[in-house]
Amino acid sequence: MTIHAYWRIDPAAEPARAERRARQQGPRLFRDVRTAAIFRYDYYAQLAQAAAQTAFDGLFVAYRPEADDSQIIAAALARETPGLALIPEFPASVGSAVYAAKQAVSFQRATRERLGWAIAQPADAETRARDGDHVDENELIARTEEFLAVARGVHGARPFSFKGRYFEVQDGGFDAPLNRVRFPRVYLQGDSEEALSLSARAADVHLFAAAPTERLRSLIEGLDALALREGRTVAFGLVQPVLSRQFSDEAHRDAARLGLGETAMVGDHAEVAGRLAALAALGIRHLVLTAPGSLEEAYEVGQHVLPRLRALTETLPVAA
Amino acid sequence: MTIDFYWRLPTHGCHSSLRHGGYDRGDWSPLGTHNVAPGLDRQGRDDGFRYIDHLAEIARAAESAGFIGGLIPSFPNTDDPWVISPLLARATRTFRFMIAFQPGFLNPVHAARLSASLQRATGGRTVFNIITGGGGPAQLWWGDSFSHDDRYGRTTEFLDVFKGVWKGEGFTYDGRFYQVRDGGLSPLLSAEDLPEIWFSGSSDAALQSAAKHADHYLSWLEPFDQLTDKFARVKERTAALGGEQKCAVRVDLVARATEEEAWRDIKLGFENVDEARRRQSRGGPTDSVGAARQQALRPSEARRYEDLIVAPNLWGGFNLLRGGPALGIVGSYEQCAARLDELIARGADAFILAGTPHLEEAYRVGEEVLPLLGREAPALLRAAE
Repeated sequence: MTIHAYWRIDPAAEPARAERRARQQGPRLFRDVRTAAIFRYDYYAQLAQAAAQTAFDGLFVAYRPEADDSQIIAAALARETPGLALIPEFPASVGSAVYAAKQAVSFQRATRERLGWAIAQPADAETRARDGDHVDENELIARTEEFLAVARGVHGARPFSFKGRYFEVQDGGFDAPLNRVRFPRVYLQGDSEEALSLSARAADVHLFAAAPTERLRSLIEGLDALALREGRTVAFGLVQPVLSRQFSDEAHRDAARLGLGETAMVGDHAEVAGRLAALAALGIRHLVLTAPGSLEEAYEVGQHVLPRLRALTETLPVAA
Repeated sequence: MTIDFYWRLPTHGCHSSLRHGGYDRGDWSPLGTHNVAPGLDRQGRDDGFRYIDHLAEIARAAESAGFIGGLIPSFPNTDDPWVISPLLARATRTFRFMIAFQPGFLNPVHAARLSASLQRATGGRTVFNIITGGGGPAQLWWGDSFSHDDRYGRTTEFLDVFKGVWKGEGFTYDGRFYQVRDGGLSPLLSAEDLPEIWFSGSSDAALQSAAKHADHYLSWLEPFDQLTDKFARVKERTAALGGEQKCAVRVDLVARATEEEAWRDIKLGFENVDEARRRQSRGGPTDSVGAARQQALRPSEARRYEDLIVAPNLWGGFNLLRGGPALGIVGSYEQCAARLDELIARGADAFILAGTPHLEEAYRVGEEVLPLLGREAPALLRAAE
């Protein structure tokens, strides 16, 4: 079975690293020759290189409204990482679905179809009001669904007309050569009943949050049944915090130091790979792996865990 | 005083010459053996280059030849400037990305975040060309059902919110189109400079909106007297509102060592335009005032390219050779520089130039025409010192 392993960039994490304004002020004993030309995006580019060199399949760029935008980061890195899938996460409140589709098409054309769309879960009411988003609380799922329907609609058909609650298009759709690329793979999230049934109707991949195996098993079975009822198949994915070291005690020591949550996978390389392989056996094919200290941990996971995981999943009998 | 010269990134493919039709750079025409980005390899397969690779070449040529940046136009069948700009951010060093976009397509708070992030990615090289005109069925293609004057009202509100959240936290706005409660960019993002705003649109609604929010008012080239009046009107209206407006001209050039060579390119290009197209009506109905003004410039039928010469070195048939405005400058390097000087003397503070093919012509215009500026108007050069 093929496992897609993505490394997550969190633009808000490690806020001082490669940030010009965060450099030490005042007298320094070391001779500091850094110019303004060395800056944060060099670090993002380095993360992307790290993920590419350690054989990840792609980058998942988290949506962090207080930090650099995920779509800008993904595009800025795209030409420096020819092999990686790029999956920016963004909310369905960004604006016109037609325009979002058009941007996706341009991205696909320029990058040989390496774009994925991860739709962020809606923020709370106060945050939405701050962001100028006034769709009612109980319509958020419907808006996301319509956003995706319109974006896929203009991508898939010409002419495409649609008059919905949030979007309206008349004789839309793309001409050649814009109509030659695939629509990005759509990743949806959320464990609520509404989120799961939306995924059954509209997701290519549903990303679960990290959880105990039994809970994941029941969520997967539930979603699988819902999708079946819609006559669709949805692939399963997981956003999984990991901390892997040569020895388990080192991993637990560092996990305590860095404050990883309960759902994090902490252990030695073989242990972490084994637990990830167990998730793969549940049917999970898309792993968004994440850790604090994104560069260092990318090497730790990419060099030591991924090869073990791949060895394990390739010898497993074909499940799911 | 110095003048900002922008170039243009052709987002709908490029021709290797104005002399013939067909986009042989990019994939807008069927791929042939002479195509590039993408081209065909020796086995006749797609060679793997993408049009963005050619755009990167043009952007680097423009920055190397002395242009401050480039306009990145946006139409239904072009690649998108919000994607092109970050894709090219790390391939360029000083090139400013002038993003053409219609504000209604993005949530203004999201647009502010995108822009601040792009400012961070480029070291402050983001510029906006705000477009509001167009309309009717074309607008519904984009999923936008607002009427013409509503769209300017919305543009004004969009920029109110865009600039408001950029100042930082605690921004509240209660408009007709947008409402924000206690919003604002994070300190990390709001520390960036606001992008310079270029504004287009010829209607009264547009001018009113421009007066409030634009740094540069951008017009296609029009006959010089008409343009002089327009610029004077824009500057006057802004001054009445207590602001200051710079004016900019977008114009294509065919600049050659001699005037004869320049017209030869036009002649060959014109002869390749089929009879029907030459005779075709001057374009369909539009509620864009700018497009209507351009249409009015052209005689309804042109048999010879000379029929479209509207003034010395001004040719009104460019739209027959490629998409875009009709009027452009044709002449020797000296003549082109002299026409640009004249426009500067008549109130132009900045330019967006272009020529086909955009890559080679960026070097040609940068190397041959820009250094001649100011010869006809020495006072301009002295002021620049």
